[in-house]
Amino acid sequence: MRWYAQTDKNVLMRIPIMENGAGASAAHNSQQVDINKKLAELPVDIRLRAIDRLRVTSLRNNKTHLAKFLLILALIGPGILVMVADNDAGGVITYAQTGSIFGIGFFIPFMILMIPVAYVVQEMTIRLAAVTRRGHAEMIWKRYGRFWGSFSLADLVIANSLTLVTEFIGITFGLGIFGVKPVYAVLIGFAFVLFITMSFRYHNWERASLVVAFFNLVFIPLVFFAKPDWGLVASAFGTWKVPFGITPLFIYVLLANLGTTIAPWMLFFQQSSEVDKGTVPEDIKAARRDTIVGACIMAAVAISILIITGTLVFQPGVSVTSASSYNIQFILSMITHRIGMLPTKLFALGLIDAGLIAAIAITASTSWAVGEAMGWPKSINLPFLQGRKFYLPGLASMAVAAVIVLIPHVPLGFLNLTVQVIASIFMPAAMLFLLLLVNDREIMGKYANGKANNAAAIVIMCMLIAMSGLYGVSLVFPGLI
Amino acid sequence: MELKQDDYKFIKTEEDWNRFVKREKLLEYAAKPVKRAKIKGWVKFAFVVIRIYIIIMVVLVFLGFLHVL
Repeated sequence: MRWYAQTDKNVLMRIPIMENGAGASAAHNSQQVDINKKLAELPVDIRLRAIDRLRVTSLRNNKTHLAKFLLILALIGPGILVMVADNDAGGVITYAQTGSIFGIGFFIPFMILMIPVAYVVQEMTIRLAAVTRRGHAEMIWKRYGRFWGSFSLADLVIANSLTLVTEFIGITFGLGIFGVKPVYAVLIGFAFVLFITMSFRYHNWERASLVVAFFNLVFIPLVFFAKPDWGLVASAFGTWKVPFGITPLFIYVLLANLGTTIAPWMLFFQQSSEVDKGTVPEDIKAARRDTIVGACIMAAVAISILIITGTLVFQPGVSVTSASSYNIQFILSMITHRIGMLPTKLFALGLIDAGLIAAIAITASTSWAVGEAMGWPKSINLPFLQGRKFYLPGLASMAVAAVIVLIPHVPLGFLNLTVQVIASIFMPAAMLFLLLLVNDREIMGKYANGKANNAAAIVIMCMLIAMSGLYGVSLVFPGLI
Repeated sequence: MELKQDDYKFIKTEEDWNRFVKREKLLEYAAKPVKRAKIKGWVKFAFVVIRIYIIIMVVLVFLGFLHVL
């Protein structure tokens, strides 16, 4: 007899399973199905998913308030993770620069506007996952062929690898505030993401990632250290004030904020994550709730950073012509100067956390996408040896990113620019595939987009496509706008 | 975390199990292959636009990077 817990990845369930597949059914009468035998017949990744889904179904059948609450908790995950991970190290720096340059005004209501924008786009991935039970990369590859499949995959993998570089820069800088040397900071970051990815099966990976994501909220209490003018914050919603008018810098920062809100990896991540979680059409409502909560958290964190830096770093009357004059070192030194070292350390903690949660999500996104495209086993439920092909692409891209950060005199600014440009090239294609797939009645049936869905999605996508194109051009030709 | 008997008490018979597996699409994954989509009409037009967009962007990026480097 073997113990299930000893054969699979961090499974704490201890159900004795006989070598011949017969389960411990002594407690069951002869009319009952042998649940252990049935579970043992499934491949390991599906078996673990089945266990999670047994619990979800059991909670759904139970009508008590406690069961309803536990069901809500059981079904949260991908939506919150994708939105919080979107506030990555690069995102935190972008919001901090935005608040420092433009103060409290236009960008606060703008971030509220980003909630429905992010939700409408990500919601489509939920339906695709629930109905097709396949990831985004696999659907593109199989539905639109090898060319578009490999184009999407190559773009995603390159952009993800370079984005991981920016996450390690954030982690290194944040840990530097606590006196940790860059080489140790990179090792700590790498080891942490490796531990989360390798140690848990999907359910526990998701819960561990949610705990990491929780620390992203550190920026919200920091607002109270800054003691902002709440009247000014409230009036921003009425005036949408742009301090120095519509300048090229304003357009550049606007595009950067938009690019930070919706990134191609998010589509791939949430769809694959919902598939691995086991989301079915019955769970769509709960997954939507999960996503809207995540979008609200994303906006709350972004607005908090805007308020902190808009209060402490922004200098009224001083017109800035370049975002580079407000780098993160300068912003943190201003925060220290105004309110002391403790808030600065909390800000640095938030930056480290932003880098870590994004690195966890992006690493998983790469692994899922490569696995889906190549037809390999693709689940975080897989033990490492069985799923090594699945884990290696994500871990390899993370290792490359970690090494790049440690290379002396590496042009990190150039790499950051490259990742933004690649994302801007990839974004329209990713959006088009999403819209095509979710309108495909052959695969989506009654879950295909309705007219209202399409109207909202097309408006948002046209805006995102135009903005990402403009952003891509503005990055390589800064004088053009 | 332990799978308690309460978690699967709704599965009493083989039929219950089969219904559960079907509703959760646990094994449906490999059973239903995805067919290649037919590209026609506005979709064909959209693909042409995307190809043109990508070519223009790649050329601009190439020129831009030459300028940056």
